Amino acid sequence: MSVSELTLLVLRLGFLLVLWLFILGIVYALRSDLFGQRVRKQQQDAAASAPPLAFAAAVPTPVPAATLQPAAASATALTEQLTARPAAPPARSGPERATAKNATRLVITSGPKSGTEFPLTSDSVTIGRSGDSSLVIRDDYTSTHHARLMLWNEEWMIQDLDSTNGTFLNGSRLAVPTPVPLDTPVKIGATSFELRR
Amino acid sequence: MMPPSNSRGTATDAAQRPQGAKPVRVRRLHLPQKLRNLELFLLLIACGINAAAVVLVQLGALGHVDTTLVLLGAGLSVLVLCMHVVLRLVARDADPFILPIASLLNGIGIAMIYRIDIANGDAGWDSSAVRQTVWSALAIACAIAVLLIIRNHRVLFRYTYVAGFIAVVLLLLPLVPGLGREVSGARVWIGIGSFATFQPGEIAKIALAVFFAGYLVRNRDSLSMVGKRFLGMRFPRLRDLGPILVVWALSMSVIIFQRDLGTALLYFGLFLVMLYLATGRLSWVLLGMTLFLGGAVIASQTLEYVNGRFTNWLDALNPDVYGANGGSYQLVQGLFGLAKGGLIGTGLGQGRPDITPVPQSDYIIASLGEELGLAGLFAILALYLLFVARGFRIGFAGNDDFGKLLGVGLSFVVALQCFIVIGGVTRVIPLTGLTTPFLAAGGSSLVANWVIAALLLRLSDTLRNQPRLVI
Repeated sequence: MSVSELTLLVLRLGFLLVLWLFILGIVYALRSDLFGQRVRKQQQDAAASAPPLAFAAAVPTPVPAATLQPAAASATALTEQLTARPAAPPARSGPERATAKNATRLVITSGPKSGTEFPLTSDSVTIGRSGDSSLVIRDDYTSTHHARLMLWNEEWMIQDLDSTNGTFLNGSRLAVPTPVPLDTPVKIGATSFELRR
Repeated sequence: MMPPSNSRGTATDAAQRPQGAKPVRVRRLHLPQKLRNLELFLLLIACGINAAAVVLVQLGALGHVDTTLVLLGAGLSVLVLCMHVVLRLVARDADPFILPIASLLNGIGIAMIYRIDIANGDAGWDSSAVRQTVWSALAIACAIAVLLIIRNHRVLFRYTYVAGFIAVVLLLLPLVPGLGREVSGARVWIGIGSFATFQPGEIAKIALAVFFAGYLVRNRDSLSMVGKRFLGMRFPRLRDLGPILVVWALSMSVIIFQRDLGTALLYFGLFLVMLYLATGRLSWVLLGMTLFLGGAVIASQTLEYVNGRFTNWLDALNPDVYGANGGSYQLVQGLFGLAKGGLIGTGLGQGRPDITPVPQSDYIIASLGEELGLAGLFAILALYLLFVARGFRIGFAGNDDFGKLLGVGLSFVVALQCFIVIGGVTRVIPLTGLTTPFLAAGGSSLVANWVIAALLLRLSDTLRNQPRLVI
């Protein structure tokens, strides 16, 4: 033997150590998958980039007047000035449901990036803090995999994925997958969005 | 006032204008090279560990380092780096962990096989390690071909029934007289002349996964929506039981005609899991497990070889069973080896794994357990865990049902195969002859598992959810 017992012992322990370091390295690289992305400090951004209320008010929200909160009421007033959308069909239970045909885009209506939008396709939209969500929302209130928008029989449904802080459709917390009406705010953490034509 | 039927553009403008009109931003994240660079980094570490394993084997068993290292270590490294370059070109968004993990498992396998060669005094073309390296080259070439040919997994959806047909043909091939070969009781090999033996069943599992995924996506509604509720579960209608009975009959015929318990369990388990995924109903799993356990119990009563496996498992340490022809000698030797390894093992090249029969293929886990110990064995299990988790991840993140089912099905095959082999070796379940994915000596298994890795890479590339907006 040209190698001493001690050297071999050190080498074999070193081998096991490197093997485990490799595994821990992979797990470390995976951490955003397992625990979600790092929360970004949002206070400054929010203050800097968006005067939120006025902006949110610019958003058309033709929801039935009976269910409106005061803030939203001013929103509708402003909206009607801006767009003069025909009032939602009266007496029907709320505004028209968003379907694959009539909803073409998702618009962020409040939060740091309000005003941004992206087009809807037939793919479902996953929402959460994890890096592979379609809509990544990085704030303290969003879960890693928070909610999902999907097409069910050509209709857009929103499903809460057991998130910690809940998903709110027009102010009420979701318990079951629910159809999303057009132009109705869905609130997740500090962000709201709407589906629009 | 705007007209009610305003177009998209003007509506946006209207919403933006009060703020001083920023243009519409559709931000996308582009991280492809970051992923590939991470992969390259991990791959280089994996190649380093592989080389270290071969060096340790030589130091432990021979006491010096010689040039075999160049062939074994560098050969595999060059191949996987080629595959990495191909990924950079054709699948930039593919998962960065699958390739390094597969390379590391393959390399550790080659080092262990080389160690057994040294103990048996094999060299040159007799050496299983050299053959394993050549098979690895072929397997990785196949994987690269899969990546180059299948640019989008939806192509496979079109060939659902062709895949099913191919699977059945591959399964039947070993039964063709003149072509089939019988090795240690199981008739699962084909061979031309005296060499080039191949296990078509290994490839069949990929074809089966494709077939099941396509079939279930097409037919899951009738399998999941209707049926009577009983004991808090919705059970399927009698006429919807067709598919599960067909697959059950298929795996029972594998047990009876090919005398291969492990493969039958693998196929049936794959079908059950994909059925559960597609329908989300526990009753299918319960039904299937009842069917399979019933079949296995009947087989253990009537078929002698199955009965023998059960006796070896339940009564392994009985001297009569241990000494009998076809008894538990191999199983118990493997257990002794694992016990000798202890917590940190005897060190590569310093144990006696060659005492166990077939230590380089079916029993490579026992060999590794002896020389790397519990710590090393758990590291290997952790690698499998990560590999399978990456596959499940595809099923979780993707938007396409066929791709989801296929990704989860393929990675579950790897997981189940690990469980069947390692469970058999460690006496958790009866021992059945399957190969440990990526590790064990055996060309067909290597080809099949590298093709699975390539398909998972392709799926993770096409199904990756690029964030459409980051807030």
